[in-house]
Amino acid sequence: MIEVKNVTKKYGDFYAVRNINFEVKDGEIVGFLGRNGAGKTTTMNMITGFIEATEGEIIVDGYNVDIKPKKVKKEIGYMPEGTPLYPELTVKEFVTYMAELKLVPRKERKKAVEEAIKSTGLEVVQNNLTRNLSRGYKQRVSMAGAIVGNPKILILDEPTVGLDPTQVVEIRELIKSFRKDHTVLISSHILSEISQICEKVIIIDKGEIVAVDTTKHLEKNTSDNTVLNVIVDDIGNKFESLKEEIAEIQEIKLIKENAEDKTKEYEVKTSSSEDIRKQIFSCCAKNEITILEMKKQEASLEDAFIKLVEDRPEYTQKEIKKMQYEKELEELREEEKIKKQERDDKKQAKKEEKARKKAEKEAKKDKGGEE
Amino acid sequence: MLAVIKKELKSYLLTPIGYIFIGAFLGIFSLFFYITIFNSGIFNFEYLFLNGTTIATFIIPVLTMRMFSEERKSVTDQLLLTSPRSIVSIVLGKFISGMIILTITELLTLIYFFILKYFGKPSLEIAISTLVGFFLLCLVYTSLGMFVSSMTENQIIAVFVTVVIFLMFWFLPQALQSLLPQILPESILSPVLAFLDVFSFVYMFENFVVGTVYVKDIIAFISFAVLFILLTIISLQRRKSVK
Repeated sequence: MIEVKNVTKKYGDFYAVRNINFEVKDGEIVGFLGRNGAGKTTTMNMITGFIEATEGEIIVDGYNVDIKPKKVKKEIGYMPEGTPLYPELTVKEFVTYMAELKLVPRKERKKAVEEAIKSTGLEVVQNNLTRNLSRGYKQRVSMAGAIVGNPKILILDEPTVGLDPTQVVEIRELIKSFRKDHTVLISSHILSEISQICEKVIIIDKGEIVAVDTTKHLEKNTSDNTVLNVIVDDIGNKFESLKEEIAEIQEIKLIKENAEDKTKEYEVKTSSSEDIRKQIFSCCAKNEITILEMKKQEASLEDAFIKLVEDRPEYTQKEIKKMQYEKELEELREEEKIKKQERDDKKQAKKEEKARKKAEKEAKKDKGGEE
Repeated sequence: MLAVIKKELKSYLLTPIGYIFIGAFLGIFSLFFYITIFNSGIFNFEYLFLNGTTIATFIIPVLTMRMFSEERKSVTDQLLLTSPRSIVSIVLGKFISGMIILTITELLTLIYFFILKYFGKPSLEIAISTLVGFFLLCLVYTSLGMFVSSMTENQIIAVFVTVVIFLMFWFLPQALQSLLPQILPESILSPVLAFLDVFSFVYMFENFVVGTVYVKDIIAFISFAVLFILLTIISLQRRKSVK
């Protein structure tokens, strides 16, 4: 399990990652999504203990990365971005070296290396120098280095970048096969990939977490209105008048007119998320419009991502500083208020005490007078 | 540590760098051998090693430049530093493998001893003390080169800076020793000069060449090596928070 709590990474005045929080549970495959430079690699480097966080703590499998780095690193298989390899070593030598570095016991090492090579499909090239391999194979060697010794947690930084489509599919299948007994955190800026592999997504933008949710939920929540694509054979040009007949229709837009068979493609936007396909069908039948195709547009993760990321304001360093300054000022004011309140309370108490004493004195005087 | 040593030795011997290093060292050494024997007519094994310092100054940086600079440039340092191995064991592994290559080279120079023995009578004791002294000198030079390599990802800069620092340690104490008597008063001159002696690695090595082994020299060499190894560890540790 990975827990990231209030983690900030600063380079001078620049925030690479700002106050992020998330959790990856055992056995989950989680996608880490963000544009280039959003802070994905920085976060992964902090989880693996390659760099230290400026603030906050990261707990992996119950151990704090800063306090027990050895224990944490033993549980993690990391595939860094850009597949760093030693060009002078063969595939087998490289994976063996990784196993040695990861403290895989001598007895199990040979078997672990063979397993890693087999599961990444590298048997054919295992005696080739890594410098002579194609990019796809290099990526796999890097992955073999990460999975050797069967670590509980796998952290894969852009594992499919720069691969051709068949290689992407292969790597994706490989990652899916880890699902059984690994916790996987995989970063990418390719959304289709994430939506195919992962159940949960963490979206990061400009160093801040924007959303942590399941892919399905994200896709569903994105669209507050439904969009239909309708292809009709409409000789009387009556389709657009449907807007008056069905109240839920917000907009009807002609997308394409096919000159050959005189069909037209429309996009119908509705104001509610209710399904109005039945209504459209009956209205079209009434108006003698033949529907050739009607399809609901599915909101994709891509839409969700764009919606989440694009609406965010772009803060400059100056603004962030100003915000912090204002926050601090607010805190100071709050403190001042509390102090003032305390002072007032004390004054009040003193006043009351004085009044009480005076009353007592007077009471005594009165008593004396009476006597 | 053993894993790192094994891998480093493999890298030295699978890439040209190891052979270039050993070849260049022995090649230049042979040239000096030829010059001293035929031009000066000196049949001393230890005298040859006075030129050994010159060779070491310019060639050891070639060996140490890649230690961390190359890893950093090709990002393989991520593999090392995210592994459960400690930074200490990684640094020591690299240092020891470098020393193994140097020791092999040094032992190969014994060829010249046996050639000289065939023609003359070189002293075995002085030869041994010279080799021990040279080993100690290499200890300091390698650790210093490694430290410089841990600070940059550019191997050329690593070589250049290392050579400059070696030359500084070589000539600066000597220059100061001739300069200071004119500036400093008599009373503080001798402690200052004694202090400068500690930094003069080549001067300390020359004691070994004439056959005098001082414990203070051995301690000084080893302490400097430990110091530079520690500095390397600190430099790598620091990069974690600065990077």
